[in-house]
Amino acid sequence: MKGLLMQCRMEIIKILRNPYYVFWSLLMPIVFYVIFTRIFNNAFDNDQEWQAHYLMSMTTFSVMGSAIMTLGIRLVEERTQGWSLFMRITPISTSAYFFAKMVGQTVIHILSIIVIFTAGGFINRVTLSPLEWLLSGLWILLASAPFLALGVLFGTMKRVDTVSGVSNLVYLLLALSGGMWMPLEIMPTIVQKIAQWLPSYNFGNGAWQIVRGNGPDVSNVLVLIGYLIIFMVLSSYIRRKQEAAV
Amino acid sequence: MEEVVSIEKATKKFKDKTAVDELSCSIQRGEVVAILGPNGAGKSTTILMMLGLLEPTEGKVEIFRMDPKEKAVREKIGAMLQEVSVIDTLTVKEIIQLFRSYYATPMDFEELVALTGLKKEEMKKRADKLSGGQKRRLGFALALAGDPDLLFFDEPTVGMDITARKRFWDTVKALKEKGKTIIFTTHYLQEADDVAERILLFHKGEVVADGTPHAIKNRLTKQSVSFIENSEVPLDEIRSLAIVSDVYVKNNRVIVVTEQTDDVLAYLFEKRLGVKGIEIEKGRLDEAFEQLTKNKEAI
Ligand SMILES: Nc1ncnc2c1ncn2[C@@H]1O[C@H](COP(=O)(O)OP(=O)(O)O)[C@@H](O)[C@H]1O
Ligand SMILES: [Mg+2]
Repeated sequence: MKGLLMQCRMEIIKILRNPYYVFWSLLMPIVFYVIFTRIFNNAFDNDQEWQAHYLMSMTTFSVMGSAIMTLGIRLVEERTQGWSLFMRITPISTSAYFFAKMVGQTVIHILSIIVIFTAGGFINRVTLSPLEWLLSGLWILLASAPFLALGVLFGTMKRVDTVSGVSNLVYLLLALSGGMWMPLEIMPTIVQKIAQWLPSYNFGNGAWQIVRGNGPDVSNVLVLIGYLIIFMVLSSYIRRKQEAAV
Repeated sequence: MEEVVSIEKATKKFKDKTAVDELSCSIQRGEVVAILGPNGAGKSTTILMMLGLLEPTEGKVEIFRMDPKEKAVREKIGAMLQEVSVIDTLTVKEIIQLFRSYYATPMDFEELVALTGLKKEEMKKRADKLSGGQKRRLGFALALAGDPDLLFFDEPTVGMDITARKRFWDTVKALKEKGKTIIFTTHYLQEADDVAERILLFHKGEVVADGTPHAIKNRLTKQSVSFIENSEVPLDEIRSLAIVSDVYVKNNRVIVVTEQTDDVLAYLFEKRLGVKGIEIEKGRLDEAFEQLTKNKEAI
C-alpha cells in the first residue's frame, strides 16, 4: 500500500517533469486559445459562447494529448529499456504498477483541466455556472478513458520512434478532424460526416453541449464506450501475443 | 545448509536455439557463486530463469523452494541486470526511496547510500542525466533497496573503471560477510577467482565445471616444466614416463606437462641432461577457462 501511494506520487512527478507534457498539454492549448479567441475572433457572432466552446476544445485537446502521447511513449520506453522487466522482480505487482500509472495520468488530467479552465477564466472572463464548470470538467476527465486505452494500445509498439511518430500523427489528425482546432461547421462536409464517428469529436461534443446548457448526446457516450472496448480488447490481445512469444 | 536456489534439468529454447541445456545445480545460503563463461554461454538466460523472468522450456527452477514469481521470493531478492537502464526524470534519491517503499523491510537509507558509494550531489541528479558509471551505482542501490537475502548481478562491472570495480567487489565482500547469497556472472576470470568461493563454468548452455576456484584450477590446469630445446634430450623417453602426460616443443622450448613437477626435475638432473633455462609453470584459471571452452568446441 505504501509502495502503491509512493508509485502514484512518483508517476505524477515524472509527467510534470516531462517537457512534452508541459509543452503539448499546457502551453500549446493556452497559446491556441489566445490566438483563436483574442486575435482571430471576428468570425463568430456570439463571442461568449465561442469563448466557452473553444475553451472546451482546448481542454479536450490537451487531455487527449497527454493520454495518448505521454502514456504510450512512456510505456514503450519502459519496455525497450528493460525497465518493465526489472519492475517484475520487485514485490510491486504489474497490475499495481499499471494502476499507479493510470492514477498518475488521471491526476495530471485534473491538473490540466484546472490550469486551462483557469487560464480561460483570466484570458476571456469565460463565465459558466459552477455546475457547468464542474460537469464539463468531470466529462473531460471520465470521457478521456478511451484515449488512455489508445495510449496503452500504442504502448505495445516495439520502438520508441514508431510510437512517437504514430501517436503524434494520430493525435493531430484526431484533433483537427474532430473539430478541436476549428469548429466542424467550417470544415468540408465529408470531414463533418467522418467526425461523427471519431472519438475526438464525441469527446469534444460532450463538453461543447454542456457549456451550451445541454448534456452530452447519448451517441457521444456510446461511441466513446465502443472505442474504449475496442482499444482495450486490442491491446490485451497484442500483449498476450507478445508474452507468448518469449 | 539451506538451499536457496534449485535448478533441475532446466532447458531454455528460443525457437530452435537451445540457450540452456538440461542444467542442474543447487546453491546454498551464504554462498558466493560466479557463473563464468564465454559470450552466448547461457549465463544471462540462466539468471533470468532464476528471477522468474523467463520460463524454462523444460525442467524446474525454484528459489527458497518456491516459484521465483512468488511475491515472497521477490521480497527477498535483488538484481542488477544487463540491458536495463534507468530512464526516469526522477532523481536518484527519489528512485531509491520509491524502490525502498516496495519492500516490507527495506535497507536503511543511509546504509544503502554508504554501501553503494553514491555521493551527496549525485542524489539530487536526475537518473536520465547520470553517466554510465553513476547509472551502475544506482542500479546497485536498487538491487540492495529491499535488503535482499539473495542477490543476482549479471556482468555487474561492465562499464566501470578500475576504482569503481574495486569498490564494487569490496562491497560484495562486505555483503558476503553479512551472510547474503550472491550469484554473479562475469567475463573477467580474475574477478571470479578473487571474489567467488564457487565457480560454475558455463559453455553452450551447460555447466562444464563446478567447484572452488582452487579445485577447478587443480582439476583442469596443467602444470609443466619447460627448458630450452636441446638435441641431446631424449623426448620420447621423457614422454614414456608415467608421471608425464605430454611433451611438446613451443617457441624453442620443450614443454613437459605433468602433475608432479618435482619428480620431473629430479629425473632431468639425475640423467644429467644438461638442460638450461628451466621454468616451472603452475596453471592459472585463465588457461583452464580457455582449455575447457576449446575442448568443448572441438567435440
Ligand atoms: N530472447 C532471446 N531470443 C533468442 N535468442 C536468445 C534470446 N536470449 C538469448 N538468446 C540466445 O541464447 C544464447 C545464450 O544467451 P545468453 O544467456 O544471453 O548468453 P550470455 O549471457 O552467457 O552471454 C545466445 O546464443 C543468445 O543469442
Ligand atoms: Mg549475458
